[in-house]
This record gives sequence, structure tokens and C-alpha cells, in this order.
Amino acid sequence: MLYLELFFQGIVQGSIYALIALGLTLVYGLLRILHVAHAALFTLGGYLGVIITNATGSFLLATAVAMIVVGFVGIAVYKLAYEPLLSKPPFISLIASIALFIASEEIFRIIFGPYGLSYTNPPMQGYFELFGGFFLKYGEALVIALSVVMLVILGWFAAATRLGVSWRATVTDPDMARAFGINTQNVRYMNFFIGSALAAAAGVFVAMLNNLVEPSMGSVASYKALAIIVLGGLGSIRGTLIAAMAIGIIESFGTIYIGHLLDRDALAFAFLIVVLMIRPQGLLGAK
Amino acid sequence: MKIKSKLMTATICLASIASSSIADNIKVGFNVPLTGFAAADGTSALNGAELAVEQINTAGGINGNMMELVVYDDQASPKEAVPIAQKLIESDNVVAAVSGSYSGATRAAAGIFQESGVPYISAYAIHPDITRAGDYVFRTSFVGEVQGRAGAKLAGEMLGLKKAVVVTLQNDFGKSLVAGFKEVSANYGIEIVGEYEYSIKDRQFGPIVSKIRADNPDVIYATGYFFTAGPLVSQLRAAGINTTIIGQEGYDSQKFIDIAGPAAEGTIITTSLDRDSTAVETQDFITAFEAKSGNKTDMVAASAHTAIKVLAAALQSSGDADKAALRDAIAGTQLTASTGEISFNGLGEVQKSVQVQVVKDGQWHHHSVIHDAALLAPPTE
Repeated sequence: MLYLELFFQGIVQGSIYALIALGLTLVYGLLRILHVAHAALFTLGGYLGVIITNATGSFLLATAVAMIVVGFVGIAVYKLAYEPLLSKPPFISLIASIALFIASEEIFRIIFGPYGLSYTNPPMQGYFELFGGFFLKYGEALVIALSVVMLVILGWFAAATRLGVSWRATVTDPDMARAFGINTQNVRYMNFFIGSALAAAAGVFVAMLNNLVEPSMGSVASYKALAIIVLGGLGSIRGTLIAAMAIGIIESFGTIYIGHLLDRDALAFAFLIVVLMIRPQGLLGAK
Repeated sequence: MKIKSKLMTATICLASIASSSIADNIKVGFNVPLTGFAAADGTSALNGAELAVEQINTAGGINGNMMELVVYDDQASPKEAVPIAQKLIESDNVVAAVSGSYSGATRAAAGIFQESGVPYISAYAIHPDITRAGDYVFRTSFVGEVQGRAGAKLAGEMLGLKKAVVVTLQNDFGKSLVAGFKEVSANYGIEIVGEYEYSIKDRQFGPIVSKIRADNPDVIYATGYFFTAGPLVSQLRAAGINTTIIGQEGYDSQKFIDIAGPAAEGTIITTSLDRDSTAVETQDFITAFEAKSGNKTDMVAASAHTAIKVLAAALQSSGDADKAALRDAIAGTQLTASTGEISFNGLGEVQKSVQVQVVKDGQWHHHSVIHDAALLAPPTE
């Protein structure tokens, strides 16, 4: 039962990584930019989740509002940091992104204070006990369930709706898409909106599991999400999802059994290095 | 007329000489994390130190001179602390300095202060190597190992809990506490059935919680700061694990209780601040701190306050003499401060009892005190 529990803990963590890394992959796929500042949106989502839940008492309302608000903030980040720099080499946008991320940590500290925020009434406390010995907290089950729901909806949207198809078309071939009358500007906005909204959801979930949001909570997410998209293969959505789950599970078992040798981040990166040595293009990257 | 104007000039000259020496502030360096992951503790420590300086200056200063705190933000990083130490010594010309920061930064800075012969007092950073930097470095709170040993006695003897899981924060602070705990745990009949480590960035402890449930201990000895311990305790209780949790001074903050919420009830810690103490110095400090900062007090604020008071007392007694005399005055300290009776041994370590506090009704309260001179003897080298 312990191993099953550790596996599920890995899935929980992997789901959160997936929600964050997906936004990063979407931006990379569309614009070839490494959107480090994405982690700031994760943090903002977490803060909004706590603040709105504390103000209204409804966790689900908070999640929805956080996702929508942060979605728009994501568009603002695109307009502020990336749109003006699209004609420049990609490392310029990367520098802008890193700068924005560093600034965001201190902006959160200035606005929300250095002490971090917690829920006044922590939601989703309590746990399931199944098959006599398998425990899973309500919050953890909710994270897995909601992540699956979001990813399924996203998949359906991309495959079956007009907007979704035009989005995929723009990613594949922007010039052709434009020739077909697709407004690539709107597609970009939508891209950032969706990616940022998912990151916000991840932030809300992390806040719910930990009962703490802090200005620097995005710092691990920022570089780990990058590692995940590289591991999965840059630009591959399926690769990102698999890599996120893999890292989640490896961290879960690794922190228990080899935690005295390597800490959680070291484990994730060690795994990344090993995979890249064997498959430099990542798990599902194009050769 | 001539005599009058001469007298006037003479008076003005004397007055300006006198006022310039009165305006000579005594500069004391203070490195503290005001940004970065430790900003919350740093802000609190700074409030404690500033309160001490205010109180000293209101009471007339030190031999008539006002004390001035020269504050730098070291982000609890050794890389930042070293240039700050150099700056304090070379360009700010401080007579001494206090560290309001964590062990990593303090350890790095201690070497610099020792080399330059500037007295340095660690308010709450507990790594043993800090005072080993030399005879100019002192510490007003216990070494990590001493507190760890106290934790073992608390668990094994005072609470009679014999099956322990140890959760270690992988840094100077966490490791030295656990080293002390493990050093004497066998003496109290404690069997360690599981040992896990986590990094200072971790807040999600799902796998550790699952494994602890499988280990089924009587007590969990977990080292960390309030921003790691709060989530850990909250997650343990949410998973239905009701085992006694023993923490240390890193938990010692109202923020721990805010984060863990009702899950914090019953958490026991070893620390140096007794909020229910009847000692005048402690109660005065608590009242004054809460009035000044609007927040509840905590161990880092009390420790910073204590360190400044110790330094002020030493400055008072050594007068205008040089830094060597100041060092000797600090070494000879006999002072009752908010965190207890302060006196130093040859290594610059303090010897005092360990306070044990427990969370009751959402506040820290007195649980017990550990007096055991042999167990709590600080290192002498």
C-alpha cells in the first residue's frame, strides 16, 4: 500500500507540474520563447486563490476567478514583455522574461508582505481510506481529478473546435494560417490566456495542499518547468505531460529512499541529465 | 566688547566640540535577511533589534552616546553576508556587529569579523562552527546540538515516547539539531524507525507523510522553519496522523500557528522564549515588542533583542576603550535578558536552560523547562 500511495503522491505532484509546464510548452511551441516569467503567474494564481477563498468562503469560485484573472494577466505579460521583442533574437525575450520573474517575486513581497498567506479555513481537509490501508487526502484526489478534467477539455478544445484548430494551425505554420484568414494575434492571446490559466490552477492547488503561499513559491517552478519541457522534448505537449508525471513519481520515491543523498530538485535534474545523455532530444522530441 | 566676543567665540567652540562628541553615535552592524526566503524572520529580528536600540537610547544611550544600528540585507545568503561584513568593518567602521541572520550567512561573516578583530554576536544562528571562528565571536542562543539533545530528553524521558521518526531540513540549522538528537537518543531509550530529509524549498510533503504513516512512530522529531514546519504539520494532521510532533525554535513564531491552523494544536517545541515567563525582562520585552510592531513576538525577535542588549551592556562597561577591551567585556557578560540568563563560556557559547513551549488554543504557552547542566553543556572548543 505504501508504494501505491507513493505512486499516487507522484501523480499529484506530476499533475501540478503538468499544469505549469503545459503553459510553458504552449508558449515555446508558438513563439519559440522560454517563458520563465510563467512561474510568476503560478504564484499569482496561488495568492488569488487564497485571498478569494478567505474573502468568499468558496474554494471553487476562487479557482475559477483566479484562472480567469491570471489568464488576462498572462496576455498582459505577452504584450508587455514579448510582443515588442518578437523581431529580436529569442534570448532577448528570455532575458526580459527572467527579469520580469525576478521583479515579480519582490512585487509580491511588497504587495502581499513577506510572511506569506494561509487559508483561514483550510479547504479539503480529511482523507479517503480505501481497501483497508490506502490513504489519499481529499485535496490530493481533487487535484488529480481537476487536472484530468482540464487536460481533457483542453484536448477536446484543440481538436474539435474552430478556435482550437486555428490555434494548432498557427503553431504549425503561422504564415499559412494567416493566409487562411486566421488572426494570429488573437491566437497568441488565447495561447497565453490558456497557459496562464492552467498555471493559476496549479498555484491554487499548491496553495490548497500546502496551506501556504509565499512570494518566492514560483522559484522552484520556474526552473523545474523548464527542465520538464526539455525532458519531454521541446514543443511536444504529450512529451511534457509524460515528463511531468515521470518527474513527480521519481521525486516521490526518491525523496523517501535516496533523500539523504540527493534532495528533490537534485533528483529531478539527475533524471533529466540521464535521459538527455541517452536521448538528447528529450523523451518525445523530434530528432 | 573684545572680551565679550572672545568669550562668545570660546563658548561656541567649546559647545561645538562638546556637541560633536555627543553627536558621535556608536555604530553597531546588523546583518539580517530582509528579502528572499527568510525575509519574514529577518523582519521580525530587525524589529527586535530596533526595539532594543530604542530602549537603550531612550534610557540615555551608552555613556551618553546614542547607539546606531547599521542594517544590511543579507538575504540569508553567505555570498551576500561576506561583502556586507567587509563593508561594515571597512567603510561603516562599526565597533561591533550582531547577526540577525541564519547560520549559513552568519558562519561566512563570522570569519571576516574575527580576522578584523571586530566583536560579532550571533543572535539565533545555531551552527557550531560559528563560534569556532575565534574568540571575537559569541552566540546568545544555544548551539544546534544542545537543543537537539534537549529534544531527545524531552521525547524519551519527559514524554516517554520511544519510537521516533526524524525529519531533517537539509541545512546547517536542521542538521545540527538532528545531530544532537541522535547523539543522545539511545540514552533515553529512543529507537529511530525512520529518517527523512527535505530541502528548504520543499512545502509539499505528501511522500514523507505516507511513509511516516507506514512507520507508525510515537513521536515525530521534525526540524525546520515555520514556513516548512507549518505545511508539514498541517499535512500530517490532514492525513489523520495524530502522533506527537516535537519541533524546535525554527517553529517559534505566530506564523507557524497561522499556517497550520487548528493542526498546530499540541505541537511542542524546544526554544529560548517562554511567553508565560514571570521574569520582568521577558514580559517587558513581549509587551514592548507587540506595541511597537503590532505583531506577536517570536524567538528571532527576542534573540536579536537579547544580543543587542548584551552588546550595549558590554559597551557601557568597556567605555571608550578599544575593540579588544569590548571583546573582553562581552566575554564577561552577566545579564538577564528576554531569553534568559546570558553568560558565555570560553568558546563564546551561552549556557542556559531550554524552554519548552506548546501550542494551546492557538497560542504558544509554557510547557516545561529543561535544566540539565551536563546535557545542555555547550561545546568548549
